[in-house]
Amino acid sequence: MSGAGFRSRPSVAASLLLPLALIAIATLVGTNGTPSLHGTVTLILCNLIVVLGLQVFVGNSGVYSFGQLGFATTGAYVAALLTLPAAFALLQTPGLPSFIVDAQLGSLLSTLIAAAASGLLAMVVGLPLMRTSTLAIPISTFAFLIVVYNIVANWDRVTGGSSGLVSIPTTTSVESAGLWAGAAVVLALAFKWSASGYRLQATREDEVAARSIGINVMRERLIAFGISGVLCGIGGALAVHQSGVLNPTTFYFGATVTTMTMLVVGGVRSVFGAVIGAIAIATVNEVLRGVEDGASLFGAISIGEAPGLAAIGLGLILLATMIAMPNGLSGGREAGELPWLRWLGMRASASLPESYGAEPNRRPVDPAVNGALRAERISLAFSGLRVLREIDLELEPGEALGLIGPNGAGKTTLVNVLSGFQEPDSGTVTLGGVDVTARSPTRLAHDGLGRTFQAALPFPHLTALESVAVGAMGVGVSRRRAAAAAAEVLDRLNLLEQAALPAGALPPGGQRLLGIARALAIQPRYLLLDEPAAGLNEAECEKLVAILRSVLEDFGCGMLLIEHDMSIVMELCPRVQVLDDGATLRVGTPEEVQADPAVVESYLGSSFLVAADA
Amino acid sequence: MTALGQSLIDALALGSLYALIALGITLVYTVMGMMNFAHGEFIMLSAYALYVFAGLPFAAAVAGSLLSGIVVALLAERVAFRPVRNADLSAQLVTSLAVAAILQNVVTVAVDARAQSVETPTSISESTSIGSISVPNLEFVTLGLTAIVLVGLGWLLYRTRTGLAMRAAAENFDMARLLGVRADRVIAIAFAISGALAATVGVLIVMQTGQVSPTMGLTPVLVGFVAVVIGGFGRMFGAVIGGLLLGTLSSLLGAYLPEGLVAFRDAIVFTFPVLILIFRPHGLLGGEIGKARV
Repeated sequence: MSGAGFRSRPSVAASLLLPLALIAIATLVGTNGTPSLHGTVTLILCNLIVVLGLQVFVGNSGVYSFGQLGFATTGAYVAALLTLPAAFALLQTPGLPSFIVDAQLGSLLSTLIAAAASGLLAMVVGLPLMRTSTLAIPISTFAFLIVVYNIVANWDRVTGGSSGLVSIPTTTSVESAGLWAGAAVVLALAFKWSASGYRLQATREDEVAARSIGINVMRERLIAFGISGVLCGIGGALAVHQSGVLNPTTFYFGATVTTMTMLVVGGVRSVFGAVIGAIAIATVNEVLRGVEDGASLFGAISIGEAPGLAAIGLGLILLATMIAMPNGLSGGREAGELPWLRWLGMRASASLPESYGAEPNRRPVDPAVNGALRAERISLAFSGLRVLREIDLELEPGEALGLIGPNGAGKTTLVNVLSGFQEPDSGTVTLGGVDVTARSPTRLAHDGLGRTFQAALPFPHLTALESVAVGAMGVGVSRRRAAAAAAEVLDRLNLLEQAALPAGALPPGGQRLLGIARALAIQPRYLLLDEPAAGLNEAECEKLVAILRSVLEDFGCGMLLIEHDMSIVMELCPRVQVLDDGATLRVGTPEEVQADPAVVESYLGSSFLVAADA
Repeated sequence: MTALGQSLIDALALGSLYALIALGITLVYTVMGMMNFAHGEFIMLSAYALYVFAGLPFAAAVAGSLLSGIVVALLAERVAFRPVRNADLSAQLVTSLAVAAILQNVVTVAVDARAQSVETPTSISESTSIGSISVPNLEFVTLGLTAIVLVGLGWLLYRTRTGLAMRAAAENFDMARLLGVRADRVIAIAFAISGALAATVGVLIVMQTGQVSPTMGLTPVLVGFVAVVIGGFGRMFGAVIGGLLLGTLSSLLGAYLPEGLVAFRDAIVFTFPVLILIFRPHGLLGGEIGKARV
């Protein structure tokens, strides 16, 4: 819960207590208000739980789901049917099995069963849905919402059909809704700050980079989808026990737009945002509803009855937010990450421990699995264009191999093949003698293959420390130890001063180094670097060489270095492989390669020869 | 045999309608990368134009409907979608959801939440017999219109400069811009055509159901989305195939499901795409979306 190692105690306390305080205030207002206010506040708190459910999935994964209200519907119907008095059940739901009719559960038990049922449904539905792409998920979840609606609206004998259910016991009080909402806040924050939550956030920030550090995108999304289903189910169950009536449209398209608006206006990435968004929009909604019912403003302007007006208002607010303030009211930050903590003279980030307590960042040397990374006769063609032709490559543990060649020679494609991002047409990749050709990038990261990309691919909204730590979490290190390991890596790369900054705020050179740090955090046996010096200035280049040298010495991993700056390659790599037009032109020491006329002609250029002579 | 022939023609007609919806959505997606939730509302608003212009001759009302579809689509693009053109896919999707909610409720406030009936020419609801099969005239109209639209779109995309610019923009938007394709113009044209397609669908739906309601766009847009997903994002041909598949499935289920299950037709129809996505996560024709760029 504490988010140990990443944020200070005051920051954690503020992130937790501020939303809880808002909920407490809302609960107090509800308890002491008129009976109608009582009901309104209770429903707002129930809505808040659904919005928090939405936040857990959408906020952390960055993937929008339009189906979460389907889980609220599920929870609501389960809770209603388990508590409906037998006499009414006989009348409204004649097809309901008698053991459910006779259940007559109390409110707490029915809510818990509703939560379990909707969570289970979310896992079952999520299993196929989470396999689809980031853009297909919103649409397939929307389809799920319509499927749920279609079923509850037509399964008359069990759900009461489109006319719905009435006379459901109204057992949800403001206080109980407040308590549940508080618990939901704690759960949402605990998930966000868990290793699983961090891994999911990494996939939101950059899916490709996340896979390269061993994160299973589908699995992390599924976990959050399940938790989201539980929270939405609880919200639905509590709401139905407040209003006492339920029909298929209670949690349908309208409610989907409303809850989505609450989350987006508050700021999707933040639990605090979900809370303030829900309360703010609910308040606006109540005012607009008052106008809808034909209230008179200030006793002067009276407006006629106009249903739909509130929904227009909400739509406009959502639209304006998307255009003008896409990060929402909270800016996507938790309460303890907002600047006010600094005004009070407190730090938001945790102070780093003197000794990091992590074991030396090195994989145990096991000759059986620590064998060479070997590619044999790799060939690949993109729609007829042959990019790689029967390439062999061998990288011994602890060795640094330079991979050079003109643009389009196939260097990056070869690294993609080695790291599992691209399956070759033929040929095999082996790691310590084991065939790993068909393994996914995620799996290969677990096998000890780290890589960087030509672009830095930072995790902009995570801090530098979190960005690196999530690399360790990606391969299963606990969150606490990941933080310590990340601090150690950052220290070695001279990035410790920037540890608390968002990765997106680092200069390009810093982001590039951070990419290397992130790959080192998975404790790789082999590190594949794709043009690490691209875009760095001379001073940064020198720093990079020093860092890479220390990586070779301290981390003991083999290194494959794609680089156009020959001086860097010469300095670091005792062996160089030259690619040209998808085939190996030459393998040898830097001196041998430089002396080879074919290499000079294809890549280095005659001017290089002149320069070398001089 | 007769019954089967009848269902097949029904299925083809419904599939054509769905293909028109999917085309309208795909067109905007290819030039802008946005799945437009508000496309259903473009359909709904053009249908309401028929209701508003009910006093005019039907042909004039249809022209008015077509114009409304185009104008609404262009307005939405200018006011709401242009500012988020460079935002990510999800942000654009939510923006279009907001536009959908606004348009839907504007109609609710301006007209009524309940459905309104619209008179259409009686000749449309009559049937023509071919052998032993009697085909509703509306289905001929639908099939004919779809054929015209497909040929017209094909001509536009592959035989005109504008079409070339649109295809270039679809391949690589930034590069097309650098090469002098005017982005605003290409996107506006895509929206205008999309609006016209929406209006065509709106008119066809009204001719079939004889009524309009503020929520009438919801099911069509979902159908269109699902068809686009099945077909593989951003493929015109895929959208048509996806629409035809979905329409055929829906129509045949309606005809052959046992009576107790007919009510659950939508549930079955919308579960089907998920089954396809399990085996082909990127759709039947596999678009580029979701593929790793490294």
